[in-house]
Order: sequence, then C-alpha cells, then structure tokens
Amino acid sequence: MKKVLSIVLALVMVVLCFAACGKTDDAKTDDAAASDFLVGAIYINSQNDTAGYTFAHHNGITKAMEQLGLPKENLKIVDNVPEDTEQVSKAIDTLANQGCKIIFGISFGYIDAFAEAADKPEYADIIFSHATGYKSNDKNFNNYFGRIYQARYLAGIAAGLKSLELNNNSIGYVAAWGTEYAETCSGINAFALGVQSVNPDAVVHVNKISTWGDEAKEKAAAEALINTYNCCVIAQHCDSAQPQLAAANGKVFGCGYNSDMTAQAPSAHLTAPIWNWDVYYKLAIETAMTDPANFMSKVGIYYGGLKEGFVDISPLSDNCTPETKAIIEKVKAMMVNGEWDVFTNVKLSIDKDGTITKTEGALKDNKGAEVISADGSTYYTYNKDTGALEAVEGGKDACDGVIKGSMNYYVAGVTEG
Amino acid sequence: MSKQREPLVRVVKRDRIHPLLKVAFYLLAILFALTVGGVLLFAIGVNPLVLYKDMFTIGMLGSRFAYKSVEGLLTIFVPLLITSLALSLSFKMRFWNIGGEGQFIIGALAAATVALKFGNSMPPFPLLVLMFLASMLCAGLYGGVVALLNVRFRTNETLLTLMLNYIALYLLRFFGETQAPWNFYLSDESVRPVFQKFPEAAFMPTISIGKFSLNISFIFAVLICVGAYFYLKKTKQGYEISVVGDSANTARYAGMHVPKIIVRTMFLSAALIGLAGGFYVSGAKVLSTSVTNNVGWTGIIVAWLAKLNTFAIFGVALLISIMQYGAQAASTQFPIIDSNFADLLQGIILFFVLAADFFIRFKLVFRKNAKKQGGAAE
Repeated sequence: MKKVLSIVLALVMVVLCFAACGKTDDAKTDDAAASDFLVGAIYINSQNDTAGYTFAHHNGITKAMEQLGLPKENLKIVDNVPEDTEQVSKAIDTLANQGCKIIFGISFGYIDAFAEAADKPEYADIIFSHATGYKSNDKNFNNYFGRIYQARYLAGIAAGLKSLELNNNSIGYVAAWGTEYAETCSGINAFALGVQSVNPDAVVHVNKISTWGDEAKEKAAAEALINTYNCCVIAQHCDSAQPQLAAANGKVFGCGYNSDMTAQAPSAHLTAPIWNWDVYYKLAIETAMTDPANFMSKVGIYYGGLKEGFVDISPLSDNCTPETKAIIEKVKAMMVNGEWDVFTNVKLSIDKDGTITKTEGALKDNKGAEVISADGSTYYTYNKDTGALEAVEGGKDACDGVIKGSMNYYVAGVTEG
Repeated sequence: MSKQREPLVRVVKRDRIHPLLKVAFYLLAILFALTVGGVLLFAIGVNPLVLYKDMFTIGMLGSRFAYKSVEGLLTIFVPLLITSLALSLSFKMRFWNIGGEGQFIIGALAAATVALKFGNSMPPFPLLVLMFLASMLCAGLYGGVVALLNVRFRTNETLLTLMLNYIALYLLRFFGETQAPWNFYLSDESVRPVFQKFPEAAFMPTISIGKFSLNISFIFAVLICVGAYFYLKKTKQGYEISVVGDSANTARYAGMHVPKIIVRTMFLSAALIGLAGGFYVSGAKVLSTSVTNNVGWTGIIVAWLAKLNTFAIFGVALLISIMQYGAQAASTQFPIIDSNFADLLQGIILFFVLAADFFIRFKLVFRKNAKKQGGAAE
C-alpha cells in the first residue's frame, strides 16, 4: 500500500505544481486584449531565426504592427511549415481558429493551400496574402513581391565603378539559380546592366549553386570566381554572407543581398540590395483593419519597387567613393519618379563625372538575339519546350510578367560558369 | 557482522506486477514528463497550464472552426496509426524495419502516378482501388526485397531499410524539382516546379456530418487496427510471427518455414505503410516532398511506447497526434514556443516511459537499515 500512497502523493505534488504555475502568470495573459485585430503568419523556418528569409519577413511584420500600434501578442505564427499543401492547410486552419483576419504565407510552395483556403466560404472574411506567388482572386487573396531588380541595377553601378577603379573587367556573381527562375535571372541581368552602364567592357561571370541556401557551396562558388576568373567584385543572390566573407579573404570587393552585409565583411562590402518588407506589411495590415472589403482594389497584386521604398540598397560603405554615391542617387531618382526603368529599350551610359546619356536600342541576350525590340514594344522569351525565341503577348504591358515569371536568358556580357 | 557489506541499493527483478499498478506507472511517467516540460516552460516565462490546455484541446476552445481542428488532427493521426501498426508487425518478429519513411514515400508516389496517369479517364471508385493497390504493391516490394536479401544473403535489414529511405526521398525530390516535358508529376501552370494537383476522381471521399467532413481513410484505419489485432492474436500467421520473434530456432524446430514468414510479414508491413502513404496523398490531393511528416520515425516511437500492443498503439498514436497538432495551436499563443516543442515533449515522455518500464520489471531493494527511507522513495 505504501506504493499506492506514494503514487497518490506524487500526483498531488504534480497538480499543486501546476496550480502554482497557473496563478503567477494569469495576469499577463489578460491585458493582451488591447486591440483585437489578429494577424496570422506562416513561416518556412523558425520565427526565432536571427538571419535569413524568415527573419526578414518576421522583422517586417513586427515592425509594421508596431507602427500600427498593434501589440505583438496579436501576431499568431505557425512556423517551420514545409511546402506541403496539407500541412499548410492545417496551419491556415489553426490561424483561422485563433481568429486571425489576415494570414500571410511567405514561401512560394504555399500557393495552392492559400488559393484553396481563400475560396472556402467559411473563410470569406479572412484575407490571404501570399509572397512571391502568382495566384489571386478578386475578393480576399492577393500575392506580393518587389522590383528587387531595380536595387540590383544600383548595386551593379557600384560594382562597375569599383571595376573601373581597379582596372579589372571581371565581376563575379554567386547565384542560387540561373535562367531556371525569372527571379534569379532578372536579378543577374539587372545587375549586369548596372555594371555595363558605367563599364561597358565588364563581363559578369555567374556561378550557379543550384540551391536557395547552402553556406558551404556559397563560399566555394565565390572562391572559385575569385581564383578562376580573377573577379574583383563578388555579387550574390543567395542567403548567407559567405560570398562576402570569401571576397574579404580574397582581398576583393562584393555586393551582398537581403541585409547590409558591411557588418560581416567591412573591408569588402560595397552595398546590398535589400527588402523593406514592413512597407508592404503595413499597407496590407492597415487595409485589412480599416477596409477589408476593398482589400483587392486598394492593395491588390502588389509589386512595389524603389518608389514605394519596398526595395532599396543598403547605405554605401566606405569602400565606395563619394562620386559613386552621387551617380547612384541620380539613377535611383530616375526610377523613383518613373522617368526610366531597367528592362526597357533605353540604355543608360554614365561617364565618370556623372553625366547620364540615354540611348534607344534593342536589348540583346548573350547569344546575340533581340529580347526587347528596338522600339520597346515587344518582349521575347525562349519557349521552354522548343527552345525557340517567342514574342510575349501584351507588348509593353508584358514587361512585369516577363521579369516576374518568364525571363530565361542572360543579357550580353553575362556568362555562366 | 556480515562477511560482505550489502550494497545500499540492489536491483531485483519483480515476480509479477498488478496490471493496474502497471498502468499507473505509465500514467505517472506521462505526468512526470508533462511536469518536466512544465518546468521548462515556466523557466522561459510561458504559463504551462495555458499552453497544455491549448495543446490538449487542439485549440478548439472558443473557435469558430473547431470542426476543422478535428479534421486536421485526423490527417496526422491516420497515417501515424497505420504506419505504427504496420511497423509493430515486423517488430514483433524482431525484424527491424526502420524504412517506414521510404515505404510511405513509395506508396504515395505509386498512388500519385496512378492518379495523374488515369485520373481523367477512370471513374472514382475503381481509380481509388487501383491507386491503393499500386501503393501497397510498390511499397510492399520495396520493403519485401529487404527481407528477401536478408533471408538469402543475411544482409542487415536495419541498414538496408535505412538507406532505402533516402533513395525514396531523393527520388521524390527528383520528380519534384526536375522540370521536363516527361515529368507529369509537375504542374504546367507554374514557372517554378510545383506538384500537379490530382484530378477530382482521385480525391479521398469524405462523409459530411454537419460542417465536419470525415475522411473515410479514418474508418479504414480503425478497421486495419481491429484487423491487425485479429491477425496477430487469432490467426496461424500471427502466431508464427510471435514464434519467430521469440526464437527463430524454435520456429524451425516446430517445422515453420522461417524465411517465408519473414518475407511475407515484411511485405505486409511495408504494404500497409505504403497504403498509409496512398491514403495521405489522396486526402491531400497533391504530392509534396515532405509528404511523410516523419511518420516512419514517429511510428517507431509509437510502436515501442505501446509495447507493440495493437490497441495501445491506437491510444499512443492519438496522444502523439494530439500533441503534434495541439503544439501548433498552442505555439501561436506564445511566440517563444515553436512546433519543435511537441518533439521535445515527445522525447521527454519516451524517456520517462522507458524509466517506468524499468520500475515495472525491476524493483529497488534497499539495505535493511536504510529500508525505511527506501520504501517511501519508491
């Protein structure tokens, strides 16, 4: 009987322990109900990350909520959700259960789960917002992404000026993917066009690692570019700061991505194209709070750029000259006020004293084929199955669609490998 | 004075233990595990009571869509239950099938292949039957070949099933990432590679009970559970499995054809896991590279926690599913907690249940003069 008694005693202890814990914390949960608008988010990695893609989005959402005066308890998160429709659907159900009125999904593969959820009648009063996707409906489902290529063009100018200064026409680019994805492809092309605007003789060598993030491969790819092609600037479209660290080790320069990597590689870093996700999140959450019925007409399919402040470049480091800064500001102003954009039939030529000359003409890819016609009215891409160059329907209006979804060539002056 | 000093504590095997006390030990182990989890939570400033409440009610309290929580729970529970049951078949035979992940993937791939190839040309019922037969056959062969190699060439089944997991996983990833005209697994619509959604005929039917829709794979899972019980307890084949598990030599002396039993049981085990994979993709309506949700691994834990007892597997699988699904609901309340907490708690529970096992099989006997304190501590 002693055993039974001891078991009972142990049970009592456990219960008491729980009761004790319960009391101390109750007050904390009560005052969370200051504002009752709940924001939901589904992340591909952990919300407690300290760098990288999920971190950038989490930072953006919390910053936007702070600006809107929403307490941070009002953000409900399901994280570490893989790109599996069933698991994303479950995460959406969980957030809907909590009472979230807008739900963000940050990874591309969430697309079908979001499209399905938005069409369910019981979720009609919830807004679904999906980053990097292409699906939407006309009531409560949009997608959002940005003109990061504009920022890459500006970074390209910084890199081009550096190459002139060093008298070395070889520039490297560590890319997650190449022409397989329009996102990486348009980034490489915009960067190369930026480089060529100041140094027409420069060649951009792309080293593709075929994964969105792998620190060891990123480092090795950057080292290969420095050792094989004697590249003097290393740009990147991948997650970590490894290419910048490799640039610093190799005593060359670099352009990071996603965050200001000057902190990691002070001797090498010039500037990095960055995202200000909070710009979108503020707009989306504010609209969902005040006027959810008109979310699609007010926010809609969002593709913000330098103008909205959604993309930008990090402050130029001390490795850049004051002239670099002046030139970049000028070109940035042209994109902000809509006077000029990257993927058009107008090429910018910038000389050392900062005079900008516009030249009209066709944009050619690195096989010599015209990909934007000389009058700027037609865009071409390669057919995935036949490999033939085909005009994209829609003329000038096709531009954004090509940049976001179908660009699959490198412009002249870019080589892979 | 005794010639030899008696040690302070001795471990003595128990003769027998009252079944109720056994259950009490296990419950106590779970409670201890929750308490340790609670202390950890408390240490990082999370109220364990609130978190456990959210977790074990899977976030249904005060929700508009409580029925969806139950639907979501079942999508975790059904594959885990079937996989754990299937694993227990081979474990009973002391055949270490740790290839649940791979067999699940092969089953899912087979079902998806049938769904995408014939989905538009066949009516739903025969299509679903064909999908699930393909799942069972392909996964069964994938597992069965390991048993065959084992009985023929005495290869190590643990290593082989483990390595076949990765082959299956990378095969699935290859189909998921390779854009090519032949690759019918991928959607044509998307620029980035995305798996193609199944045609409607391949969707797992559901039964509507008010707003709640019951996926009929749940009914099949319960039937499989009952079937497994009868198979193991009441049939000749079930008896053969346990004899081989106890001693292959005894089985041989009794005139049993041991290699045949091993291959047959492993085929059945893998086929059932493949069926779970088929059920899952049919319910999800699409493939994905993380289709298994780790059931091949979690199933091992479930099977062992349940001591390979068929009905205990049902209970343990339900508990683990509630913890996994509930942890997601609970973690939305507390930013510092993420879904990994469920895994952590699962690990702590496993640890304490193993400890309870020890105390069920053995008791500690304290030296005579120390016995008074000893009795109370036990």
